[in-house]
Amino acid sequence: MADAAVATASDRAASRPRYGSMSRDRRWALRWSYFFLILFAIFFLTPPIYMFITSLKTSAEISAESNPWWVYNPTLSNYIELLTQNTYLTFFRNSAIVSVITVVITMTISVIAAFALARMRFWGSATLATGVFLTYLIPETLLFIPLFKMFAWVNETFGIQLMNNWWTMLILYPTLTVPFATWIMIGYFASIPKELDEAALIDGATWMQTLTKIFIPVALPGIIAATIFTFTVSWAQFLYPLAFTTSTTELVLPVGIITTLIKGDVFNWGQIMTGALLGAAPPLIIYAFLMDYYIAGLTAGATKG
Amino acid sequence: MADIAARGPAAVTGDSRSGLHKLMQRKSTIAFLMALPLIVLILSLVAYPAGYAIYLAMLNKGMTRFVGLGNFDFLFGRETFWMVVYQSCLFAITAVIFKAIIGFVVAHFVHNIPSKGQRKWRGMLLVPWVIPPAMSTLAWLWLFDPSYSAFNWILANFGIDRVPWLGETGWARFSVILVNVWIGAPFFMIMYLAALKSVPEQLYEAASIDGATWWQRIWYVTLPMMRNIIAITALFSLIVTFANFDIVRVLTKGDPLNTTHVFATWAFRVGIESGDIPLGSAVSLFMVPILAVAATFILRDISKRGSEV
Amino acid sequence: MVSRKVSRRRFVAGTTAVSTALVAAPFVRGAYAAGKLTLGLWDHWVPGANKTSEALIREWADKEKVEVTIDYITSQGNKLLLTIAAEAQAKSGHDMLSMAHWLPARYPDQLVAMNDIVEPLIKQNGAPNGTVEYLGKVNGKWLGVPCTIGSQIKGPCSRIDLMKQHAGIDVQAMYPVGAPPKADGWTLDAFLKAAEACQKANHPFGIGLGTTSDSVDTAGAFFHSFGAELVNAKGDITVKSDNVRKALDYCKRLTGFLPEDAPSWDDASNNKWLVSGRGALIMNPPSAWAVAKRDAPKVAEQCWSHGFPSGPAGRFAPYIPFFWNVWTFSKNASAAKSLLVHLSSRTSAEKLVVASGGYDLPAWEKFTDFKTWAEEAPPKGTLYHYPNPYNHQKLSIAASPAPHKIAEQIYTQGIMPQMIVRHHKGEAMEKTLDWASREIEGFMRN
Repeated sequence: MADAAVATASDRAASRPRYGSMSRDRRWALRWSYFFLILFAIFFLTPPIYMFITSLKTSAEISAESNPWWVYNPTLSNYIELLTQNTYLTFFRNSAIVSVITVVITMTISVIAAFALARMRFWGSATLATGVFLTYLIPETLLFIPLFKMFAWVNETFGIQLMNNWWTMLILYPTLTVPFATWIMIGYFASIPKELDEAALIDGATWMQTLTKIFIPVALPGIIAATIFTFTVSWAQFLYPLAFTTSTTELVLPVGIITTLIKGDVFNWGQIMTGALLGAAPPLIIYAFLMDYYIAGLTAGATKG
Repeated sequence: MADIAARGPAAVTGDSRSGLHKLMQRKSTIAFLMALPLIVLILSLVAYPAGYAIYLAMLNKGMTRFVGLGNFDFLFGRETFWMVVYQSCLFAITAVIFKAIIGFVVAHFVHNIPSKGQRKWRGMLLVPWVIPPAMSTLAWLWLFDPSYSAFNWILANFGIDRVPWLGETGWARFSVILVNVWIGAPFFMIMYLAALKSVPEQLYEAASIDGATWWQRIWYVTLPMMRNIIAITALFSLIVTFANFDIVRVLTKGDPLNTTHVFATWAFRVGIESGDIPLGSAVSLFMVPILAVAATFILRDISKRGSEV
Repeated sequence: MVSRKVSRRRFVAGTTAVSTALVAAPFVRGAYAAGKLTLGLWDHWVPGANKTSEALIREWADKEKVEVTIDYITSQGNKLLLTIAAEAQAKSGHDMLSMAHWLPARYPDQLVAMNDIVEPLIKQNGAPNGTVEYLGKVNGKWLGVPCTIGSQIKGPCSRIDLMKQHAGIDVQAMYPVGAPPKADGWTLDAFLKAAEACQKANHPFGIGLGTTSDSVDTAGAFFHSFGAELVNAKGDITVKSDNVRKALDYCKRLTGFLPEDAPSWDDASNNKWLVSGRGALIMNPPSAWAVAKRDAPKVAEQCWSHGFPSGPAGRFAPYIPFFWNVWTFSKNASAAKSLLVHLSSRTSAEKLVVASGGYDLPAWEKFTDFKTWAEEAPPKGTLYHYPNPYNHQKLSIAASPAPHKIAEQIYTQGIMPQMIVRHHKGEAMEKTLDWASREIEGFMRN
């Protein structure tokens, strides 16, 4: 084993042992790795697969005492029913609009603020940086009741009704995403060499120009990571929309599925699973394409912060 | 650097401007303005409602009278409250430990296999984290169902009795933690995998030359190198897990005998379901100091380490 | 939670005659100045039931020229409860909401008094049962109008075949169609024996012992059957009484014959237990039977809804009323009242009952004889005794007659099922009672 290591040590170019010189140990390690990976993949994928299986069943088959892991009479009726229902499409549209706009708002606020906090420093900026982190410690379960009261005040004072509107989420979601995104971005900006912006400033660039021309391009992986994070959080948020929206025209997807497909004590499992799978699709697709950036950005930002 | 920065814009625009304009040109003013949206957001939608929640927690049940710390005093005398404290800590700590271990182990295995296959595995293993938890927890609820549990169906085929997944304290605690680990472990895996990749290969080579076993390599090379990221990931996960609402709410609603309640779900039961909003706020407030203590410790540890390196 | 707008222009020609004849509507209708009304109604699980209520409301809206918006809100996950709490705090939202059991009494000062319409309605439709009055009328003020939609009795729904085969009980003979029940032998002792027999035959009774409403309601009815009150009407804790001990002891013995994960059952678990064909009896309104009719017809054909077994203190069945309530912040309370009179007429109530397949139970005394209950099938007459047509059992709610604010907490925190589970798990009777009285002391706060 030590031999093998020495042999590879001489070969600096390869980051891991070449297969030709692989020792018996190494091969066994690989086999064990695959074995355990398969085990973990089964653990991780069982629920989504079961969701898929259930989504293909009729309600009669779901209630039957047959093998739950097999579909005897596959049907697409759950999918057809959901996708032709206006309400479900409305949830989807609301979720998409809310998530995208939240991402835009979050990134605008947090990139600019992170730049100011990481590079420019002002009176109280260090406290603020800590404060940003501390907001993450305050759970939304604590905040939603005071928010009811605040919304009542807004309604009385300005006549703006914030209850039961999907766009209220655009105000609330950033409270969940901005602290983390700012924190990641502070970390990322801190890792950029100071010489870069000093040089730019000497050349006569304004602060905004320094940010847009130098920092944003360099920190792009971090920005992408924070963007994906924000999108995931907004897409999955449950408590705020549950507490603040009621009408079907205003609901977002997770709450919509739970509140319209479950009625009283009657669960429509086939449709619930279908809706859940379809609801999981957009973030899955985003991760499939952007995962590498996400990983790179998240780790750089989090460790250096 | 401060000098350069302060002179920078001024040098371009010239000095013959009004005082206000000069103020606007000052670095700290600009910086403050840039951070202003963040400050407004946090103050108005987090800090103010949090303060309001503290105020609410000091009212009587009918919200007509100020009772100071009366609600807290009342809570300290309730056995259910202490059970919720215990269960919340048990839930959060156990779940985070298992997430960290599983994440670490899986990251190692993924790191072990040839790079070209890694993307695919990584993608598959990340799925639980990407599905909105409210949705995936429903799938678990269905898998644990007393009448239709698909797990019990498999067990029955092996001649094993049906397991009361959510029906007995022990199993129910196991189940809610299991679901939390399932959702959170992939995030750890991804963070650790990235950290593993950033450990310089030379360190392992040096260790191998010294005759280190694989265990020693993990203990003396990998873990110290990943220290920061392990701490950060654990911290974030601890915060989120501690404040978790959906999993317990969907799976058990605190049953059996309130033994699976965590702070958030019990606060909901007391505050919303039983109509005692001040008491519910008082329960939720307990999450904050506990988390703050954890956060200070972990963060101090990181910065200490950071300055040593 | 289907949201629809009923525009005043969409007048439906040829609507059925509205029976506003008997009660004078207090709402004076102007030409077009009737304004807007937003309603939050319980989202009915029966397909099509929401459409019927919507049509009824539209019928009124067109006549009165009111623009109505309806949100159907599910009770699942306490969404309806959360909406009510939110609107109470935010002091804005729907004009009218349907609230179940304890909620009107939680907001007595924030709800419009309904005495001016409820009192004439009582004259017209007969008195509502005592539970409705206990929950809906606080200090002489009616906080809402008893609502047909969603009100239900959670009595037993048994499997005819399994009960006959394993317990030797013919539920159809006990509760025959078109005739008063012959259920003198249907006592708690008989119930316990049947539970044991069915459990031995691997078809245990599906009664939950969690903290959600179905479990609490059933436990509450058992306690009532023994005359066991945890808190009496004056607000004194009466946990340590012989009746409570007897009730607890009985429930403990019964628990031995229930599925072992019953302590975590929620309101859907018993439905699934019946539909899967495993259970011989559950305590539920006919939603489980209706789902079985769709998904497991063979099970449905063997279902029979009937009365509760009787105990030393009488025969009690759990009753969950819904109310229609109007917030004081509503700007159109008079319109809402006019609508409520319309919805409380016999024709409206009957339409709602028919649309719900017999599930909804109007609270009014004279409304228990609609044809639907006799006709619903299979098997024919399965719902005949569901609305308690012969007043053969007392309709009750768990934790009554305690003062509302205490009773509500006993109910929502599931104290009774928790006592049963504790005692069943081996905790000594007195320790369980100690625990319960300590918990209840905590509910005395105000």
